[in-house]
Amino acid sequence: MSSFTTRRIALTTLLIGAVGLSAAAQAAEIKIGVAEALTGPAAQYGNSIRNGFKLAVEQINASGMLGADKITLVIEDEQGKKEEAINAFKKLIFQDKVLMVFGPTLSNSAQAADPIAQAAKVVVFGTSNTADGITSIGDFVFRNSVTEADVLPVTIATAVKNAKIKKVAVLYGNDDVFTKSGYDNFVKALEAQKIPVTTTETFAKGDVDFKAQLTKIKATNPDAIVLSALIAEGAPIMVQARQLGLKVPVIGGNGMNSVKIFDMAKGASDDLWVGSPWSSQNRAKANNSFIIDFTQQFKGVPDQFAAQAFDAMHIAASAIKKIKLTGNLAADRAALRDALPTVKWTGATGDFAFRRATDKAGKPAGYDAQQLPIISVTRGVQFEIVK
Amino acid sequence: MLAQQLFNALSLGGVYALFALGFTLVFGVLGVVNLSHGAVFMVGAYAALTAVNLLHWPLWLSLAFAAGVSGLVGLLVDVLVLRPLRARNAPHLIPMIATIGLGIALNSLAQGLFGAENRRFPPELLPQGTLHFAGLDATALELGIILLSLVLMTVLLLTLGKTQLGRALRAIAESPKAALLLGINVEGLFMLTSFAAAALGGVAGVLIGLYSNALFPLMGQPVLHKGIAVIILGGMGDIRGAMLAGLFLGFAEVLSVAYIGSTMRDAVGFGLLFAVLLMRPKGLFGSTQERKV
Amino acid sequence: MLEAFDTFWSIYSNLVLTLGTSSLLALSIYLTLSCGMLAMANAAFMGIGAYTSALLTMQAGWPYPAVLLAGAAAPAAVAYLIGKPTLRLSGVYLAMATLAFGEVVRIAILNTEAWTGGALGLNGIPAETQPWHVALVLLLVVAVLERLRRSRTGRAFEAIKEDETAAGLMGIDVAAHKLAAFVMGAAIAGLAGTLNAHLTFFIGPNEFGFDRGVEILTMTILGGIQGLMGPVVGAFIVTLLPEVLRGLQDWRLMANGVILVLMVLFLPRGLWDPARLRRLLGRS
Repeated sequence: MSSFTTRRIALTTLLIGAVGLSAAAQAAEIKIGVAEALTGPAAQYGNSIRNGFKLAVEQINASGMLGADKITLVIEDEQGKKEEAINAFKKLIFQDKVLMVFGPTLSNSAQAADPIAQAAKVVVFGTSNTADGITSIGDFVFRNSVTEADVLPVTIATAVKNAKIKKVAVLYGNDDVFTKSGYDNFVKALEAQKIPVTTTETFAKGDVDFKAQLTKIKATNPDAIVLSALIAEGAPIMVQARQLGLKVPVIGGNGMNSVKIFDMAKGASDDLWVGSPWSSQNRAKANNSFIIDFTQQFKGVPDQFAAQAFDAMHIAASAIKKIKLTGNLAADRAALRDALPTVKWTGATGDFAFRRATDKAGKPAGYDAQQLPIISVTRGVQFEIVK
Repeated sequence: MLAQQLFNALSLGGVYALFALGFTLVFGVLGVVNLSHGAVFMVGAYAALTAVNLLHWPLWLSLAFAAGVSGLVGLLVDVLVLRPLRARNAPHLIPMIATIGLGIALNSLAQGLFGAENRRFPPELLPQGTLHFAGLDATALELGIILLSLVLMTVLLLTLGKTQLGRALRAIAESPKAALLLGINVEGLFMLTSFAAAALGGVAGVLIGLYSNALFPLMGQPVLHKGIAVIILGGMGDIRGAMLAGLFLGFAEVLSVAYIGSTMRDAVGFGLLFAVLLMRPKGLFGSTQERKV
Repeated sequence: MLEAFDTFWSIYSNLVLTLGTSSLLALSIYLTLSCGMLAMANAAFMGIGAYTSALLTMQAGWPYPAVLLAGAAAPAAVAYLIGKPTLRLSGVYLAMATLAFGEVVRIAILNTEAWTGGALGLNGIPAETQPWHVALVLLLVVAVLERLRRSRTGRAFEAIKEDETAAGLMGIDVAAHKLAAFVMGAAIAGLAGTLNAHLTFFIGPNEFGFDRGVEILTMTILGGIQGLMGPVVGAFIVTLLPEVLRGLQDWRLMANGVILVLMVLFLPRGLWDPARLRRLLGRS
């Protein structure tokens, strides 16, 4: 080789090296905190959510949409306990110095831990919190979980129209925030739509026998049962209702929207009406690829919680893409908060935008989900979407 | 409607009674409040599920398997944890705390092995369909639960009342030291009792699993709370009392839902418990004798 | 140096303050235990204190010191009411009866929605608790209990714990002493509840049930009841264990349970055993 070529090669190598080095120096690790209930009573939801996040991060990093930057998830288990949620948030925010925090799983935990994020001026993004009093905490609080207040009226209206329902009985779990707030929203919707209630019965989490309540309900002869329950109680309720000869439609809240109903209430699962921002039957492209990818990676079908987590991560990534990361954590966190409300995204749950919420005094605070629910009814072994 | 409610109460109460039996056996004979009983309940359910799904065994065999596995867990608890504590005369609260730790560990292990989602038994396991007789709707499972509970309770009562084994157990319940002096193999019977009690708990777990179609790692906890109420109502350590109190609680709950309103159902159970204790401190059927050391 | 402390405090402030409130809860059970009673209603008393104080802050706008007093007085009053009939029970029966009472309180909270928010809980409680509140209350309680231990009342408690019948024969008003211990324990638990409620922004009915009662008992027994340090040590361990085990992720809860069992097996008189420590130190 001539000395000229050697010099050319050396120079080129140096150049490539310099570019590579600077690129490596530029490629930032974007740390995103995830605090979910990975153990404890809410574990099945927390684990589902975590999987949704993991899938999304893999796809985002692989696609290169954030340039050379890669998202790293810092995952903490908040056990479904409010104290642990607070501790997890503090660790993620102050020790791991994450850009933003996803979670926690339960609304109760959110009510305790979100103020921490708000005070620290860090975006907290809930994907499964549906209770009141969360986005009203402040302007750093976001969620893409459509509240029951938005979904339930549509569910009832659709069911009433299609199944010719005149009067209903109501059954709900009165010791769980989720099912209780579902009940409150059902009541408001039933009143607004002027549907009389024949009787209202309750149960508690962990109950296995509902015959007493169902027998009472049957005696009042309703056209449908409005049920605010989680699937653990909801499935046995449907089974036992059918066993008692109570064959009327069941109008369910958010907790009943799970494909597990077909397995857990086999033979008794027909005629369940649910509304949800996500349906496994929704054949839109974004949803289809999500379901396929998820099933392939985690060897099981996704549920609504995984879908909402998946979309939430994409929404956050879209916002991150819009801002320029300066390396100044406080500035970056504030920039993210400003960019997030502007994101519009079409994902597994369909078209999504944020909607401003207000605090107790009526002033603008955090951001709720603006999304249309899909109403489905169970027939055979799947949900059928109802228009 | 009343007749149907009473029938519901019978099957619910039967399961409560079955669970409480194991619980109260351990207290009566070993003098320990075993708060891991909820966990062995869950172990039984999952053991049966594994037998059915993996080994494709029929229900009766899986049930027996569940009883065996739970019994084994109960035995291990006794040998590994309760016996060393007995040997050094630990104050009676200490074993209770140990069983709390064991319960936590077992529940978490189950979650690690089986995942947190609800599972269920395949519906083909049982004859489906509802029988209609005398104006009542009853499933094969409910009748099965009632029958099995009655059979097991009768066997237990007869064993305790009529056999030599039963006499030995009652002697130990009265005073372990005296029983030892009488030549009774106290340690051996402790082990047997732990096994039998846990086996009963495991069977109850399978039955509830079939009844509710919901198996999950923490499924034993709500039943544990109810079980505590039952054994206090019935008099701790009293077998007959546990059975009757289990049925009583089942009736109280069902009837309070039917006639008072379901929101107060749990309050009725515990409120009754509290009231009974104030009026009859040893429970409805408890003996007035305190256990002598 | 100051910055390091600042960061530490940002991350761990909640944990540290929870150590304080947990210690109070452990001490509240210790008090009744020192009188020979295993009363398991303290989780419920904590709840009564928490709800009373939170409602007073949010609905009536009372200042924090007044709220603290109310948070101690309300459960004490309830304890006084149920104490007379309940304390006739003994041993495990008392334990279970008080546990049942705890469940009754929880269900009452669930069903008085208009006041307590029912299952939805009370949200948005102002964060009034300062570290010095917790420190002050803890020091006061420890001081009072230490004085009590050395006083005639404390010796009466000891006598009742050893042998109730004999104490009665010696002229000690057993019923009155037991009631006093029960009521004081309730007040301390109520204080812990008040401090906790104004620390975590939110309280719900399910936090004051069986699981909490069991947790408090575990703290006290683990630490040992030879002296006042025992419950505090136990509280520290039980509160810190989830943090320490954080690295174990999914297996944390299981490790928690196993550690509990191992501690019970190998340290039956509790961790804080002055006799054992003296032996250990004496040897070296």
